[in-house]
Amino acid sequence: MVPNAIIETRGLSKIYGSGAQSTTALDSLNLQVNQGEIFGYLGPNGAGKTTTIRLLLDLIRPSAGAATIFGDDIRAKSVDIHRRIGFLPGELSLWEGRSGKQIINFVANVRGDADGILKQAEKIAERLELDTTKRVRDLSSGNKRKLGLVLALMHDPELLILDEPTNGLDPLVQQTFHEMMNEYRQRGKTVFLSSHVLSEVQAICDRVGILRDGDLKAVESVEGLTQVEFHHIEVSYREAVPPELRERLAGMPQVSDVAVHGRRLDLRLVGDFDPLLRELGAGYVELLRIEEPTLEDIFLAFYSDKEKV
Amino acid sequence: MAGIVLGNTLRSAWKQILYWGFGMGLLGVYIVFIGSDADIVQGYASLFESMPPAMLQAFGASSLELFSSTEGWFVSIFVSEVIIFLSIFAVMAGLNITANDENSGNLDVLLSLPISRATFLMERWIAYALLGLGILLFTAALTLGAMALFSPAADTGVVLLSMLNLYPGTLLVMTVTCLLAAVLRRRAVAIALAAAFVVASFLFNLIGAAASGAIADLMQQLSYFSHAGGEDIVLGTHDPAGAGALLIIVAIGFLVSVKMFDSRDIGL
Repeated sequence: MVPNAIIETRGLSKIYGSGAQSTTALDSLNLQVNQGEIFGYLGPNGAGKTTTIRLLLDLIRPSAGAATIFGDDIRAKSVDIHRRIGFLPGELSLWEGRSGKQIINFVANVRGDADGILKQAEKIAERLELDTTKRVRDLSSGNKRKLGLVLALMHDPELLILDEPTNGLDPLVQQTFHEMMNEYRQRGKTVFLSSHVLSEVQAICDRVGILRDGDLKAVESVEGLTQVEFHHIEVSYREAVPPELRERLAGMPQVSDVAVHGRRLDLRLVGDFDPLLRELGAGYVELLRIEEPTLEDIFLAFYSDKEKV
Repeated sequence: MAGIVLGNTLRSAWKQILYWGFGMGLLGVYIVFIGSDADIVQGYASLFESMPPAMLQAFGASSLELFSSTEGWFVSIFVSEVIIFLSIFAVMAGLNITANDENSGNLDVLLSLPISRATFLMERWIAYALLGLGILLFTAALTLGAMALFSPAADTGVVLLSMLNLYPGTLLVMTVTCLLAAVLRRRAVAIALAAAFVVASFLFNLIGAAASGAIADLMQQLSYFSHAGGEDIVLGTHDPAGAGALLIIVAIGFLVSVKMFDSRDIGL
């Protein structure tokens, strides 16, 4: 075992069902998450992210392989491991009739050192602007998510396992969350978070694992991933698309997929905007629309580039 | 932290003692009140005397001798109804141990805490077992109070014992439901099978008591209703082995539940 590995999986697999109706949700996952890093676990819906997290938490049992957290087997030492981790499920469900405070009190009591944990919970709730006196049924989905974050963070765990943590959070709270994660990392703690939002992963993660159809395709640094970052661009001109522009753009190495639809020009740009903007200025631009690539786009681009290499 | 789940469950569910206990207790008070009128009891006895045994069983009375005393009359009428209510409570309690939280997704949060599945299930089970006992005692307190008021000559000790004899059957239904939920995961299937278990037990007891022969005897012995009633206690023919057998089955069922719950995937 590598000394600073906090999470380590070896051939971890999960097959749901049996016989002809079986589905491989996770196929021989070999993954290592090191101490002090924020590891983003990326993949489209159904890729196996939540299955991995549920396996790590011993909520479901592997069909093959094994995993350790803090060097301990996830099954044999699950209670000890759970003492040292904080978890936020993707679909957070809490007791609807109870207030946030009641749930926080219960979880703090189960974790022990309730006084210290409760003080910490209060601080986090204040920072996230969460009213813990309200019943869960009266909380918006965003506020439920905040409560989930309080529950995951309040005992200052060594490892955070977060499944789509910012789902339903407004941008301001997302920003606060990113700050909290950065502070968390600075204190040498580890975060394993799943997401399908690339910008979030880019904002806070050190490394990412890309998962597709239960198969870990790559583990990359965020820098490595952003090297293939591109944008879809749509330019609408007041009049016709300037003559010869299409040819000039096709000659630019960072531009591809150029298509003209009447007065509209579509293209894909990799890298800086400046050279492109200079060319686009050949005509009167009425509208410039820039679309972030989807994770699937990045994923496909990442692999087509790899194949080219 | 040992006992946290137990304490939390009791804190959040203790009102069930009031709701169930008050409801069944009021029924008991009403029956005690009716039973305080000797003419009414005599009327019941005359009515039942004209019934065939099977019909008599359907009304929850196994012997006309029961109607010769207030406590006998009360036990035959009241206890046979309370056992149905307690069975319903027990199914609901059995579902509350794991199935409801699993169905709603709460179990993901609970089992990510530093508590083992076995401890969780055990503390929940104990909590609901205590709630069941609380309901029974609350019901008994109300009815025995009414009995002291309206029928002071009645043997309240016999009535109390008859009511407490319902407890092993209640635990059995709760444990069977818990076991079904631990094995099957799907709450709707667990509910259906637990309800089928209660209804089948009721019918086995009914048919077994009404018919004669070895098969009928076996059917009755297989029903928890036949071991959980109080009529044998009133008649002085009670064999505690039946209740003991129920408790042994409860212990085995509980251990199997823990084993099954510990070995399967959660929340799918």
